[in-house]
Amino acid sequence: MNANPTFAAASAQPGTTAPAAISITGLNKHYGAFHVLRDINLQVASGEIVVLCGPSGSGKSTLIRCINHLEQHTSGQIHVNGTLLTSRAEDVASVRRQLGMVFQSFNLFPHMTVLDNCTFALRLALKMSAKEAECTAREYLEKVRVIEQAAKFPTQLSGGQQQRVAIARALCLQPRIMLFDEPTSALDPESVGSVLRIMEDLAQTGITMICVTHEMGFARRVADRCVFMEGGQIIEEALAETFFTAPASDRLKNFIDQVL
Amino acid sequence: MHFDMQVAWDSLPKLLAGLGNTFTVLVPVLILGLLFAIPVALGRLKPGARSLPATIYVSVFRGVPSLVLLYLIYSGLPQFPIVRDTFLWTFFSNPYFCAWLGLALTHSGFMAEIIRGALAAIPPGTIEAAQTLGLTPRQILFRLRLPMAARYALKAYQNELLIMVKSTSAVSAITIIDLTAAANTVFDYTYDPFTPLLTAAAIYWCITNAIRLGCSAADRKFNRHLVRQ
Repeated sequence: MNANPTFAAASAQPGTTAPAAISITGLNKHYGAFHVLRDINLQVASGEIVVLCGPSGSGKSTLIRCINHLEQHTSGQIHVNGTLLTSRAEDVASVRRQLGMVFQSFNLFPHMTVLDNCTFALRLALKMSAKEAECTAREYLEKVRVIEQAAKFPTQLSGGQQQRVAIARALCLQPRIMLFDEPTSALDPESVGSVLRIMEDLAQTGITMICVTHEMGFARRVADRCVFMEGGQIIEEALAETFFTAPASDRLKNFIDQVL
Repeated sequence: MHFDMQVAWDSLPKLLAGLGNTFTVLVPVLILGLLFAIPVALGRLKPGARSLPATIYVSVFRGVPSLVLLYLIYSGLPQFPIVRDTFLWTFFSNPYFCAWLGLALTHSGFMAEIIRGALAAIPPGTIEAAQTLGLTPRQILFRLRLPMAARYALKAYQNELLIMVKSTSAVSAITIIDLTAAANTVFDYTYDPFTPLLTAAAIYWCITNAIRLGCSAADRKFNRHLVRQ
């Protein structure tokens, strides 16, 4: 499903020859007595685009939040490019360096301009000079087509523009893997398109992506593989085309009937 | 009640000298109070029993009247040989030191609650975003949480600041001739009960309004992201 030939080769056989960017084995997560994630096993190959879908409360967001340790898993293992994620600060830092995250509610820094939102981590986490950071930030703001808003504050932007800034902010740090947690769920239909286009462009670059989304059209066009979750479990995972045309389980069939 | 312009004018040098002492007390109190308050506010945000020391600190220093606290520090502590007979006496025999300490403790109790509220008002998602961008907890505290909290706290801080300006008059109880005390000394030799106090009140009014204007300017600068243009 991908126009980029070098990338298409890697994605044609997910998880077989390409090294695993993310490897999750036997993952469990409890909130007190509530068992949110049950025995999750998921391999994501380098360069692969994976869409997580499923009804609300199925644990999709919790799963990707576990990958960058915003949530702590109860048992099981998460490897990110070979690094085992533990609660040690060095491991968390090393894993987060490889991951970019985009949130449903954008989570921009409200008191900083668009440009400062992007340069903030470059200066503090990567110790770039102010000039270098601005240069990098402008490059990515251009890519997500909000460069003309660079001097404005987040509240002065539309939702779609804010989300594109959030994407640029994450990309500035050149992560190898991007996590998207329902990036378009808080947007009006027009803005949804502008954000999805950016994500489609991004998918062409060979970056690894895991997206939690209800945009089934996007999943079908862009994803290499789709994963269906319900009740904290992975019910079914399949190559994108098979997922929509020949779902194996009744639950996925029902879900697809409802959302398409 | 009558106001004698001549008395007001003649007493002005004395009152302004008092005002100088008011500032000598006020400025270190504001700085010390803020420095004490930040760790206490962070302590208040700790989960469960770990917040207890900070909670006790706040309840004690917000609860004790500053006048009582000043008396206890200036007149009470020297009752103990360890204060009177050691190097501590250098500090505790100085009324300014006692005023700074006593008022800073009171001020920090209130400030801790203002800062705690402001820190708690930061949307958790903002902090999560900073975490995913690879910032350390220390960077997140000093470069994101405290600067955001300062913006949220500005309005409440203005209130506390104005109250502190006028609370400094308690220091006359420990021999410091501040603006209010200076007005009282003018009364002592003129027998005019109203003019010096009204003049002092007018000076307080000027100070508090200057602070109000300063805070508004700071609000326009630091919270300009809240204004839709």
